[in-house]
Amino acid sequence: MFGGPIADRPKTPPPTFAMFRPLLRCLLLLLGALQIQAQETRDFVHDISPLLSRFGCNGSACHGKAEGQRGFKLSVFGNDPRADFEALTTQGRGRRVMVTAPENSLLLTKSTASVPHAGGPRMDENSREYAILRDWIKSGLVYEEKHRPNWVGMRMDPPETVLGFDQNQSLKVIARASDGREEDVTWLAMFHSNNPALAEVEETGTFKTGSTIGQAAVMARFAGQIAVHQVTVPRPGTPNRFEDPAETSDIDRLVNKNLRRLNLKPSEKVDDAGYLRRVTLDVIGRLPSPAETVVFLEDKTQNKREKLVDRLLERPEYADLWALKWSDILRVDRRTLGHANAFAYYEWIHQAMENNLGLDQFARQLLEAEGPLAQNPAGFFFKVTKTPGEMAATASQALLGIRITCAECHQHPYDRWTQSDYHGMRAFFSQVAYKKVGLEEALFAEGPIKTIHPRTKEVLHAHPLGTPMPEDDPAGDRRQALANWLVASENPWFARNMANRLWAHFLGRGLVEPIDDVRASNPPSNPELLELLTLILKEHHFDQKSLIRAVVASDAYQRSSAPNDTNTADELNFSRALFRRLPSEILLDAICDVTGVPEKFAGVPAGRRAVQLWDSEQQSYFLKLFGRPMRTTACVCERSSSSGVSQSLHFINSANLQLKLSHAKGNIALWLSTAKEDAAFVDALYIACFSRRPTGEERAEGLAYLQTRANRRQEAAEDLAWSLLNTLEFVFNH
Amino acid sequence: MNTPNNVFCDGLARRDFLRIGSAGLLGMNLTLSGLLRQKALGAASLKEPSFIYVFLQGGLSTIDSFDMKPDAPSSIRGPFSPIRSKVPGMDVCEYLPKVAGVTDKFSLIRSFTHGDAGHGAADHHMLTGYHPNAAFNAGLSPNNQHPSMGSVIAQRLGTKGSVPPYVCLPGMHPSASSAYLGPNAVPFIIETDPNSPGFEIPDMQPPLTIDAARIADRQALLSRVDRFQRSAEQRANANAAERSVFAERATSLMTSKDAKAAFDIQREDPKLRDAYGRSTLGQSCLLARRLVESGVRCVTINHQNWDTHSKGFTTLKDDLLPKLDLAMSALFRDLDDRGLLQSTVVVITGEFGRTPVINKDAGRDHWSRCFTVAVGGGGIHGGRVIGKSDAQASDPADSPYGPEDLCATVYQLMGIPPHEEMLTQEGRPVMLTNSGRIIRDLI
Repeated sequence: MFGGPIADRPKTPPPTFAMFRPLLRCLLLLLGALQIQAQETRDFVHDISPLLSRFGCNGSACHGKAEGQRGFKLSVFGNDPRADFEALTTQGRGRRVMVTAPENSLLLTKSTASVPHAGGPRMDENSREYAILRDWIKSGLVYEEKHRPNWVGMRMDPPETVLGFDQNQSLKVIARASDGREEDVTWLAMFHSNNPALAEVEETGTFKTGSTIGQAAVMARFAGQIAVHQVTVPRPGTPNRFEDPAETSDIDRLVNKNLRRLNLKPSEKVDDAGYLRRVTLDVIGRLPSPAETVVFLEDKTQNKREKLVDRLLERPEYADLWALKWSDILRVDRRTLGHANAFAYYEWIHQAMENNLGLDQFARQLLEAEGPLAQNPAGFFFKVTKTPGEMAATASQALLGIRITCAECHQHPYDRWTQSDYHGMRAFFSQVAYKKVGLEEALFAEGPIKTIHPRTKEVLHAHPLGTPMPEDDPAGDRRQALANWLVASENPWFARNMANRLWAHFLGRGLVEPIDDVRASNPPSNPELLELLTLILKEHHFDQKSLIRAVVASDAYQRSSAPNDTNTADELNFSRALFRRLPSEILLDAICDVTGVPEKFAGVPAGRRAVQLWDSEQQSYFLKLFGRPMRTTACVCERSSSSGVSQSLHFINSANLQLKLSHAKGNIALWLSTAKEDAAFVDALYIACFSRRPTGEERAEGLAYLQTRANRRQEAAEDLAWSLLNTLEFVFNH
Repeated sequence: MNTPNNVFCDGLARRDFLRIGSAGLLGMNLTLSGLLRQKALGAASLKEPSFIYVFLQGGLSTIDSFDMKPDAPSSIRGPFSPIRSKVPGMDVCEYLPKVAGVTDKFSLIRSFTHGDAGHGAADHHMLTGYHPNAAFNAGLSPNNQHPSMGSVIAQRLGTKGSVPPYVCLPGMHPSASSAYLGPNAVPFIIETDPNSPGFEIPDMQPPLTIDAARIADRQALLSRVDRFQRSAEQRANANAAERSVFAERATSLMTSKDAKAAFDIQREDPKLRDAYGRSTLGQSCLLARRLVESGVRCVTINHQNWDTHSKGFTTLKDDLLPKLDLAMSALFRDLDDRGLLQSTVVVITGEFGRTPVINKDAGRDHWSRCFTVAVGGGGIHGGRVIGKSDAQASDPADSPYGPEDLCATVYQLMGIPPHEEMLTQEGRPVMLTNSGRIIRDLI
C-alpha cells in the first residue's frame, strides 16, 4: 500500500509454494540455529542494540528519555547506537559491562533484577537473550562487525487474516538481510496493535481477537524495519446478503464490498429533510433557511438532491466554511502574525476557496510564496511556522498527512522515517529569509544553505520523503522542487491526503484516521476506496468541488443515521451516518439563524457570522467553550468537538440564549405574530431547527404546551424553542 | 521468554492500561488507580483523599517568610524578623503570626530546587511536574505540554457525587489544563472572584426571568421532544451518549443541593469568612475547602502578584503576607476542625523563590535554585522541616527535592501509583511523574 521496499506486503504465494512452506520453516529455523551455533562474534549494532529495543530499555519512559534513568541514558529507540555503545562501555565507572567478569556486569545483573532494578526483571539467566549479552561482553565488546549484512526489509507471515471473535493467531516476522538471506526475527520484534479492542497482541507475536467487528493493523518493529499484518473480524452470524443495484456508483461498490466482507448491512437511505440539513451543513456550514427547506421538501423532481448540491457549491458561504477549515490547518494565528498580516493571510485562503483554485495550485502557491508579503500573503505560512524544521513538519502534516516531527530527533517509532528524511525535508525550507524592500518585508529563498545531520554531522541535501538523496540540493529556490514533486501525478501522498480529508469531512471519519497521521502502521480501512477517491480528484485536476459532488451523491453519504440490526457497533465502515457535533462557529450561527438574533463580535462589522471570523482569538465565551483551535500546530486534533458539563450548563442556562429567544424583533416573536394558528408556529420552529416538519405527535405535544399556557404565549413559545435547541437533534449533524 | 516486551518501567503492560483507560471515558471511576484504591480501601470508612494546590504565582519570597536567615549579612537577610512558632525550629516571618500558631499542621521543605527561573516554564514545571521542552509557548492558554496534577488526579480518580473532579479558581492558570489527557480531565473553571460581592458560577443558575417552575416545564418538555434521547442512534454514537451524560451532570449540578451548596460561599458563617480574610486568596481557600468537602478531588488556586521585584518588602508586609497569614492559617485550622485535614493534601508554593541578595529596588528577583514549599494534610506529618538550605538560602544544603518529587508524593498520597504511565495523543507512553521520588520523610 505504501510502496517502497520496507512496507511491501508479499503477494499471496502460489498454491504449489504452500507445500514447501513447512520445509522452508524448518530450513529457516535451522539457519537461525546454525547462526547461533556458529558463534559468530557478537557485535553491538547487530545483536545488542535490537535487544535493548526489544526489552524496552531505550523506551521514552525508561532509559530512552532525555534525562536517562538513574544516570544511565540510552538514545530513544536505539537511534544512536554509537552513543549507546559508549554509554554501556565507557560510562558508569566501568561497572555496566565487565569483560573479566561478565556475570557481574550491571547490564546483566540489572536485566535479571538480581540487583534492584526500577524496571524490574527483563530476562532470566537461562534465556538466549542473556547468553547473547554475556557472550558479547565476554568476547570483548565489539561495536560492529562490518562484514555482517544489514536488515533491509521485513514482512509478516501471514500478511492478513479474517478471523472470528475470541480467536488466536500467531504471527511470524521475517526480516530480509542485504545479502538476500531471510531470518525469523519474531522473538526480537516488538508488536503493537492499532486497535487492541479488536486485536490484542502478545509480546510473542500472537494476537487474540475480541468481540469487536472491523479491521485492525498489527505492527511489528525490528531494527528500524516495520511490517504490518491486517486482521479483519466480520460480524458473526448468518451472512446478510444485499445486492448492489445496477446504478450503484464505483464509490459505493467499494464501500459495499467492504461491508459484505464484514457481514454488515447498510442503513436505509436518509429522507429528504435529513439529507437537506446534513448536506447544507457540510457544504456551506449553515442550516438551510426555512424557505429553502419548504421549497426543497415540496420539490417533486427526481434529481433534486443533485440540483441542491449544485446550488450549494455556488453559494458564497461555501468559501467561508472552507476558508475556516484551511485557516485552522495553515495556522492563521493572529498572536504570531499580528492583526493585519493574519487577515491578509486569511483573505488569500478565502480567495482561493472562492475561486475554487485547484488544490494542487493552492499547495503550489503556498509553498512557492515569495516577494513582498503584503502582495503575497501566502508567504505568511512561513512567518507563522518560523523555523525550517517547523515549516517542513507543518507542510508534511497539512499537505501529505504525514507527521514527521518524531524523526527530528530519532527514527519514527511507527514508521520508516529517519532523521535523514526529516532533515532532508527541512533542507527545502532552509533558504527562507526576509529582507526589507522599501518599507515592506519581502520573503526570498535562495543561496547555498547547508543542512547538517544533527547526529552524524553529514551534509544532507534536500529530498522529499521516501525518495533517495540526490548528489546536491536543487538549484534556485528549493521549495519549487518540493512543490513540483508534491503535485506530480505519481506523488503517493498529496492527492490521497486531500481526498481523505474531504471524505472525512463529509462522512465523519477518514479512511485513514487520524486524517493527518498517515503511517505504514496506520493503514486505510478501505484502501481501494481511498485509491478511487484519489483518482477522482486527479482526473478532475484537483477540483475539490468535483470530488465533493461524487462523495455527497454516494449512497454511503446518503445513509440514515438509524442503525439496523447489523451495524450498531460499526463506526468505521460507513454502514450508517455518524453523529457529528456541530463545530462551535456553526453551532453559534445555527442558534442565531433559528432565533433571528445575530451575535455581535467586537471589532467585526455587524452581520458577520461566526464561521466568517478569521481570528480564532476573537473574544467569545461560546466559541471558547465549544472548542476553537489555538492554531499552534497543523493538527486537526486542535479543534475539539467534545462535550463538557460547562457546555451543557450554557445551553440550559445561558442568559444570552434567553435574550435571543425573548428578543422583541427575534423570530419567536415574529412567528408568533404572523402564525394564524399555534400549529403553524410549531411547524415554523421545527423547520428552522431541524429542517423538517414535526410529526403529528410532536405537533400535538407543542400545541398542548402552548395552549395550556395561552395567557403567556410568548413565554411558552420560548420554552418550546429552548427545548428544541437543547436536543441532540439540534446540536449534532446526523 | 519470561518477560513481555510491552511491559514498561512500572511493570504495567500497556494494553492493560489502554483497556482500563478507555473504560474511564465518561469520567467514571473506572481508572486503574481508582480500582486499586477502591480495593485497598475496602471499607468506606476512610475519607477519599483530595488535594488543594495554592499556587502563589510570581514566586513567594520564602527567604522572607518560611526560611529566614537572620544571621546573614544585611544585604541578604532583609528587614523582617523571624518569630517562634508552635513547633521549635519552624520559625516563620513576623508577619505570619497566625501561621505560627498552626505549624504543627504542615511541614516545610526547605531544600526545594529546580533549574528554571523564568515564570512560564517554572509554572509549568511546578504545576505538572514536567519542565517544558523548547517548543513551549507560555503565552498560550492552555499551554500544557503535560497534564497538570489536577488533570492527572481527575483522570485517575474520576467524578465523585455531583461536583466536577477538578476545579480551578479564580480563572485557570495557563498550565493547569489536561494536555493529552483530553476533555474529561479539563478543569471546571470558576472565572469569577469568590471575594466579589455577588459571586456566582457562570450558567449555574437560569436567567433571573426564568423561575424554577418554568425550568422544570422546559426540562419536562425537552425530555418529550428530544427524539434521539434513549434512541438506537444515541446508543450507537458515543459522542451523543456522552453529551447526554454531561447534560445530566449539568442538570444535577444546577439542581443538586449539594453542588449548589458547595459553590455557594455566602452560606459560610461571616466570622469564618473573616477568619480566612476578605481577600481573593482567603475566599478562594475557603471555597476550596467547601469544594473538597463536597467531593471535588483537586482544587487549584491561582493567586497572582507575588512577583515582588520592586518595593517587595512593602508589598509583602502590607499586602501579601497578611493575606497569606489569614488564608493559610484558617485553611489548615478549618480543615482540621472538620476532620478533613487527614484526607486533604495541601501544597502552598510559588513557582520559585527569590534571590538571596536584595536588589536596588528594595525587592528580590527570581531564584529557583533553592526555596521552600509548605505541605500538609492527607497523611503528611505536621511540624517537620525537610531539608536545609545553605547559610544564604542560595542552594540546598542537603536532600534537595524538586517538582517531580512533589508530584510523586502528592500522587502517592492520593492513592495514585506515581510510576504509572499515561499516553500522549501520538501514543507515546509518559510516566505520571518524571522519575519523581516519594518524599518519605513527609509521610
